[in-house]
Amino acid sequence: MEISLSVTAVDELAIRRAKSGDLAALERIYRAYQGTVYSLARRICRTAEEAEDVLQETFLEVCRSIRGFRGGGPGSLTAWIKRIAASKALIRIRYEKYREAEPLAEDGGPAGRRDGDVGLQMDLEASLARLSDTARAVVWMHDVEGYTHEEIAELMGKTVSFSKSQLSRAHARLRDMLGEEV
Amino acid sequence: MFRHCTIAELLEVRGGEGSAAARAHLKGCAACRDELDRVHQRVAALRALPSVTPPRDRWPLVRDEFRAWRRRRLRWLAGGSVAAAAVLALVIAWPGNGSPAPVGPSPELRALVERSQVLESALGWYGGGGRVVDGLAATAIADLEDRIAVIDAGIAGVQTGEVPTGDLERLWRQRVRLLDVLVQTHVQRTAYVGF
Repeated sequence: MEISLSVTAVDELAIRRAKSGDLAALERIYRAYQGTVYSLARRICRTAEEAEDVLQETFLEVCRSIRGFRGGGPGSLTAWIKRIAASKALIRIRYEKYREAEPLAEDGGPAGRRDGDVGLQMDLEASLARLSDTARAVVWMHDVEGYTHEEIAELMGKTVSFSKSQLSRAHARLRDMLGEEV
Repeated sequence: MFRHCTIAELLEVRGGEGSAAARAHLKGCAACRDELDRVHQRVAALRALPSVTPPRDRWPLVRDEFRAWRRRRLRWLAGGSVAAAAVLALVIAWPGNGSPAPVGPSPELRALVERSQVLESALGWYGGGGRVVDGLAATAIADLEDRIAVIDAGIAGVQTGEVPTGDLERLWRQRVRLLDVLVQTHVQRTAYVGF
C-alpha cells in the first residue's frame, strides 16, 4: 500500500514537471508506461515491429501534447496514454489494410491444444494472432481494456453495430480455434 | 424463446444489455448457461495473458524526435510568432473591459520583446542548419533550446490563463537571457571552426 501511494505521488509530480517540458520527467513517464503501451499495441498490431513503432509514436505524441492534458492524476493519465496508443495502433492496422489492398482472411482451423496454463496462454496467443486485425483489436479493447462499443466505434470511425458484430465474430472464431465444446 | 442464444446475445447478457427473452431462456437452458460460462472464462483468460515488454529501448528515439520537433518549433517561432507574441504582450497589457484605450506594454516588456527579436534574427544567421557541431556544443545547444521551448510554453500559457499575466515580464527576461547564451554559443562555435 505504501509503495502504491509513493508511486502515485511520484507520478503526480512527474506529470507537473512533464507539462513544463522537463525531459527527465517525460522519460520517467515513458519508463512507467512503456510496458502498458507496448502490450496494448502488441495485442492489436500484427507484428512486434509495428507495435514498437506504435510505442514510439505514442510517446512522441505524449511528449508533444502533455501540456494540454487536463486529467486529475495518474489514473486519468493512464487512460489518456492508452487512448493515444489505441488510436495509433488502429491507424496502423487501417494503414496496413490499405497497403495490402485486401484484408487478411481469418485463418481457419483449430490452433492445436496444449496442456496446462502456459499451453492455454500459447493457444490463446496463437488464436488471437489468427483473427482478422479488426476483430482482434475489438476483442482486446472491449474485453481486456474495458472500452465500450461506443468508444471503440468512435476510435475506429465505425458504428456501434460494427463493433458489436466484430466482437461476436471474434468470440465465435476463438471458440472454434480453441476447440471449445459448443 | 425456443432456440439457443447466439454468441451476440450471450455477449449482450454479459454486458448487462441482453433482451428479456434471452435472459429468460438462459434461466431454463443449461447448455446456454455453459456457453455463457465459457465466454466468461475466455475473457478471464484473455485478461490473464502476461504483459509483454518492448524488445528495445525506444526512449532515445522518442527524446531525439521530440527535441527535433521543439527545435523546429523554435525556428518557426523565430519566423513570425514572436511578432504574434509581441501583439499578445500588447493585448495583455491592456486592461480591457471598458477601459478607455490600450495602454500598451510596459517599456521594459517592449524592450525585452524587441531584444528577443534581434536575438532570434542573429540565431537565424548563426544557427542555420548544415553546420558542423561537436558533441559537447550540440548537447549545450539542445539543452538551451529545450529550456527556451519551456519558456515559450509558459508565455503561451499566459494567453490560455494557465500562467499569471504578472509572470510575463519574468518569462520574457528569461527568454532573452537564454537566447543570448544560445547566440553566444553559436558565435563561439563558428569562431572556433573558422580558426
